[in-house]
Amino acid sequence: MTTPAGTIFFLPGLGFGAAAAGPIADALDALAGGRLRVVGIDLPGHDGSPDAPNGSVAALADRAVQVIEAEADGGPFVIAAHSMGGKVTAVVTDRILRGRANVFGLAGLVLLAPSPPTPEPMSEDKRAEMLSWVDDGPISQGHASEFVAQNVAAPLGEAAARAAVEQLRRMSPLAWRRWLTEGSVEDLSSDIGVLDLPVVVLAGEDDDDLGASAQPQLLADVYPRARFVSLASTGHLLPYERAAEVADEIVRLWDATVPTAPQVTPEWGRLIASERTAPEARGFLAHRALADDPDYAPRVLSPEQLSMLRALADRLVPQSGTARVDLAARVDADLALARSDGWRNEGQPANVFAYRLGLDDLSALWPDDTDDQNATAEQNALIEGIISGELNEHQALGGDAWNGTMRQHWFDDLRTDLTRIWLSHPASFARIGYDGFATSGPAFGSVGYNTVAAGLRDPWEPVELGDLA
Amino acid sequence: MRTYDRDEIVDVVVVGTGAGGAPLLARLAGRGLKVVALEAGPNTDPDGFTNDEVEAPRINWMSERLSGGGDPTAFGTNNSGFGVGGGTLHWGAFTPRPDARDLRLRTESGVGEDWPIDHAELTRYVAEVERTIGVSGPTPYPWDPEREYLEPPVDRNAPADLMAAGCARLGIRATDAPAAILSRDRDQPHFGNRRSSQNLGSIHQGERYGTKATTANTYLPAAVADGAEIRPDSMVHGIELDAQGRVGAVVYRHDGKEYRQRCANLVLAGGGIETPRLLLNTGLANSSGQVGRNFLAHGGVQVWGRFDEQIRGYRGYPSSLISEDFVRPEGVDFAGGYLLQSLGVMPLNYATTVIRGAGLWGAELMNALDAWRYSAGIGINGECLPAENNRLVLSDELDEWGVPRALVTFTAGANENAITEHATATMTRILEAAGALETRVLARTAHTLGTCRMSADPATGVIDAEGRSHDIPNMWISDNSTFPSSLSANPCLTQMALSLRTADLMLR
Repeated sequence: MTTPAGTIFFLPGLGFGAAAAGPIADALDALAGGRLRVVGIDLPGHDGSPDAPNGSVAALADRAVQVIEAEADGGPFVIAAHSMGGKVTAVVTDRILRGRANVFGLAGLVLLAPSPPTPEPMSEDKRAEMLSWVDDGPISQGHASEFVAQNVAAPLGEAAARAAVEQLRRMSPLAWRRWLTEGSVEDLSSDIGVLDLPVVVLAGEDDDDLGASAQPQLLADVYPRARFVSLASTGHLLPYERAAEVADEIVRLWDATVPTAPQVTPEWGRLIASERTAPEARGFLAHRALADDPDYAPRVLSPEQLSMLRALADRLVPQSGTARVDLAARVDADLALARSDGWRNEGQPANVFAYRLGLDDLSALWPDDTDDQNATAEQNALIEGIISGELNEHQALGGDAWNGTMRQHWFDDLRTDLTRIWLSHPASFARIGYDGFATSGPAFGSVGYNTVAAGLRDPWEPVELGDLA
Repeated sequence: MRTYDRDEIVDVVVVGTGAGGAPLLARLAGRGLKVVALEAGPNTDPDGFTNDEVEAPRINWMSERLSGGGDPTAFGTNNSGFGVGGGTLHWGAFTPRPDARDLRLRTESGVGEDWPIDHAELTRYVAEVERTIGVSGPTPYPWDPEREYLEPPVDRNAPADLMAAGCARLGIRATDAPAAILSRDRDQPHFGNRRSSQNLGSIHQGERYGTKATTANTYLPAAVADGAEIRPDSMVHGIELDAQGRVGAVVYRHDGKEYRQRCANLVLAGGGIETPRLLLNTGLANSSGQVGRNFLAHGGVQVWGRFDEQIRGYRGYPSSLISEDFVRPEGVDFAGGYLLQSLGVMPLNYATTVIRGAGLWGAELMNALDAWRYSAGIGINGECLPAENNRLVLSDELDEWGVPRALVTFTAGANENAITEHATATMTRILEAAGALETRVLARTAHTLGTCRMSADPATGVIDAEGRSHDIPNMWISDNSTFPSSLSANPCLTQMALSLRTADLMLR
């Protein structure tokens, strides 16, 4: 069997436990041959798990984070979540991206008919009916069967239907009631804001409130990178109704985000996840580790300028292999935030304008036939000439607004910006042997280094950084 | 914290809370004066600092300055503080004392300037600062047998070990550097527990455990305990004079609104860029025409050597070895000299320096970044002679507070270049003696000094030897803009001493 390359954590919907991950796990095994480990999570009050201390979504997220922290191995992972689990996942994701969970490696989300961070749309009649099912204790066989039947487009197979009903029957009535009266109606949207990571949202065309037509409106603002997939002849119980399609989309998201972005080894991931790293620092690293959006739309530069910047980034800060940081896109995003390094050369246009002028100017000069050996040599000569200042007298496009000295100074800024972005990625830290982020933990015990001599390391440091002192 | 009404005429308003403003604030408050400090940047609790180099610059003055001349100075993280604590939030805590010869450079060499201050008097204040903030260092100190450090030195890191080995082979004296890093836990009055050194190489990013002294964990809590008020996020941009031509109030912006604080005395302590910028913007205290002139930046050239072993100089106090053997090197044709310090630096800092200082790109750049962990550096703090045309003026571009941005022009002169050349050769020899496989020179300057210099003669400076404006009797300047010459010692310790001295002179 293949060693798993990563983990899929599964957060089930209302009434379902970790076992609801079963059909998806089977489908993933068939599809990915053991590449992905699936860890289902029993949320509080589900499948025999104890009830939460209160009815908030945060309390459900606490349990999910505990399990993820315990089960994560430092390698990459994706969270898949169904219905109620989707709302919990928004909270979990927010915590992870802020560094407020001791985990590292989140690559993206696969959400199945998720409940949104806003109050879940649900008719009062339906809420009242569902509440009535637990008036006298655990849900009855009949009502559980009715619930399953109401939420599928076509009847499940006998084994699946039985499994679903069995889980529903083990559900705590308190947890059921709390979700309907508290968790589902909480509005977490202002706490959570925007979660800018790779996401795919699957929903059925025959689902009501959380169906395919409703999801974009509910979630597009929360997950700006979400891709919405509509499943025909599908109700609400995607983990049972469409396990194969779900598995397909998990693999698709995985392949689009994990092999394409530089990864740290699990040992480094565990160090980032550990208490030695301050939550805020962990959050910065979690954001930087996310795969870039292949469809990134520039915010400050034109698409042509972005292309030119990508070509320059490839030469100035070369990355080998297919796992790359889209340095040009990240420069554009930084420019949109109007970040500055605190100074610029006299007469130099402000950063954004310098980038626009500089990229337009270089587009006119750039030898871009990449298959041609001569083009590479010409690019080298151009780059060297700009850095050394030899080309300062060379006519620049832009007239008085852009001369050769400006080009030279901008090129210094450009090389610095691209390099700092590349270098601040956690995989770059690991590559160059920097673990200083892990000296920012709580102020007790030894927070920094005991060993500072050449060739030696502390026990908590990654093994390749030296011999044990 | 005690607060004061804006219409109350407080005894003293201090603009800035770094090495220039804070010791003075504490001293004045301690003597019962009503004092208010206005700080442009935010107040940050210790756990609000991060060692992440991308995000850490929230403790730096990142509002753009414009830089010109033959050797444009880098601002931002290089030398500019922002927030309660000022530049001491990001300083390197390297605390050599000022050398007596440097205060008499003109008398000695015929160039540069003398300081109108007695070295022994200054040294008494230096020793007081060292006691208050906690400076560790070696006793005896090779270049000053009288000196005593109250705390033993902090650990040497790998670059320090290598520099020590190289120096030993060449007969150069070198020892543990004096540093404002605690080697023992301490209960800092009015602040609380400060931990002993954790061997953190990220002190320039802001340090959350109190191992490094800042004014925010020393003088400022003492000042507040004695009744000082500190107003963060308050950017002073105007000064009002009364009919007698004395300062009557300062005008500042806070949360987008304009406020005015009345005062009987004003102390400007915004540093070598913000103080002259404010004076040029208000047109005050400049009868000499010297405001903004004689901008000084220490020579800061570095040489890096690559070694076989993993050095990882981001561990440990970054400058844990010093040599003062070159404060007056023999057989040279330049005035003044330089200090040597071992160097370990953070990764983004190193990358920025190899890009800007050595012009690297592409595969060569990536190789240099991969070699960083095997690299140890040595750097200098070198004398910079004052020059009229190295100066700060106002540009025609406004910043976010509506104040014209500073334009600073700096070109290294023949003396600076000669020092850089000599130091580069010295550092290269040391690294080679230590076994470096190859060496690389990185150009750099440090600090922002001299733009409102002190002078005995009102025609040649902005303040007198006590720190008082030659023009406005109730305006004082207490920051590194007052340095007549750069000294070879790093400025912060000297500045804190000057700050106490100015406070005592104000209290007379």
